[in-house]
Amino acid sequence: MTTHPHMALVLSRICARFADEERHDLSVLRDVTFSVRTGSFVSIIGPSGAGKSTLMRVILGMMLPTSGEVVRNFSRPAMVFQNYALFPWLSALDNVAFGLRMSSVPKQERERVAREKLKEVGLLHLENHYPAQLSGGQRQRVGLARALAIQPDFLIMDEPFSNLDTITAEELKADLLKIWRAYGITILMVNHLIPDAIELSDQIILMGAHPGHVEKVVAIDLPRPRDTRGALFFQDVDALTEEIRKIS
Amino acid sequence: MIRSVTHPQAGPWHRIHLMRHRRALILMTIVIGIAVLFGISGYFSGVAWPTLLEAVLRTTYRLALAYGIALVLGVTIALLVGWSPFIDFFFPFFDILQNIPSFALFPLFIYFFGFTDQMIILFATSSIVWPILFAVLTAIKGAHKDLNDAATIFGATGFRRVSFYLAPLALPAVLTGSIVGIAIGWEAIIGAEIIANIAGFGAFIKNVDISGIDASAVAGALAILVIVFVINRLVWAPLLLESSRRYAE
Repeated sequence: MTTHPHMALVLSRICARFADEERHDLSVLRDVTFSVRTGSFVSIIGPSGAGKSTLMRVILGMMLPTSGEVVRNFSRPAMVFQNYALFPWLSALDNVAFGLRMSSVPKQERERVAREKLKEVGLLHLENHYPAQLSGGQRQRVGLARALAIQPDFLIMDEPFSNLDTITAEELKADLLKIWRAYGITILMVNHLIPDAIELSDQIILMGAHPGHVEKVVAIDLPRPRDTRGALFFQDVDALTEEIRKIS
Repeated sequence: MIRSVTHPQAGPWHRIHLMRHRRALILMTIVIGIAVLFGISGYFSGVAWPTLLEAVLRTTYRLALAYGIALVLGVTIALLVGWSPFIDFFFPFFDILQNIPSFALFPLFIYFFGFTDQMIILFATSSIVWPILFAVLTAIKGAHKDLNDAATIFGATGFRRVSFYLAPLALPAVLTGSIVGIAIGWEAIIGAEIIANIAGFGAFIKNVDISGIDASAVAGALAILVIVFVINRLVWAPLLLESSRRYAE
């Protein structure tokens, strides 16, 4: 196996196939190759059917690829889900503490950490609320706090803003950038929104569909913090939109 | 200054629940009212109350035991199967088994356990267990993929998955399975008591029917109705309310 000291993740020629319900052999990923530098923010953009969810599962080791090599230079991955995936029977505090509980962290310590993370996402006052009592934005913040509580070194975010209204999504994006800078975690985010991807990412991976494959890897060199109303930003948005148009 | 005047939990579901709660109370008041009227008119004067009470308590005791065994058995099997990678294999297998009519197996229970309390309890257990088992299995099978993934990613693996993820996930299903199971359990126990003529509510109504004392049968039916209502109001309704509050999407 090749070593990649500065890379948190290296995927080499990943292929994934499985049988659908009618037992037809489906190719979901074909020769997916890219790498994610440690501490960077990378977005994946692609149409439906690009195998993004399968790719996430392969990266997290929850599914074996049919062929290819995955090098993971991380030990504590975490994930933030599009549909929040909070445990409805647990309060916000217990949801955040869930990962620590599974690692047998003593109750007092895990509750201290969970409160700290809830405070970071601005929800300490809702620690006793159940997910059903929280708004979409609040649920997503609890999901983010749950991920941060295990001190991840690799964070996967699956379309974290797609179920949120514009104002909530903007607030969460700002918080996410703060957290990314403070923690120095590697973030891999699946996204549908080109401006969001450009605003947040160091690198954008464009994927094509049927089967999922990497069309292009685009580096975003705009200085941070990014001016989302500047001409350079809109130039990148236009260029990327054009690339995606070509793919689809 | 803008001030919210709506209580956050006074949502539509809460109102529906209150309406149902009121409706159930009104219905029960009517039933009890009719019973009182019958009582005043002397309709129940020929009823052997001590015998009836003993019969009802015997049947209720058998149901409680059968439900307890079925609950432990059904939930344990469903959690273990749901935890294993063989859930899709076992599902149709259980489906075939639960489709066998309970009373078709009644002679087998008599053969193995005779005309005993154990026979009735185990026979009822074999009826109650299926709704509980299927409700739990369906809840596990139908869990959102993201929720399963979240449990795995955050470390709910091995046996911890059962205790910290699958068991709480299945709790609302245990409630609904129990409610259906207990309804089936009443039928199984009373039916078995009638067929085997073993002391209990089934044997009581069978005997009063033969002797033609209709008032005893009516009194017995009312007694069962009150027990069902009390269990529903004191146990299932609060648990269902709490579960729907917590598990709401």
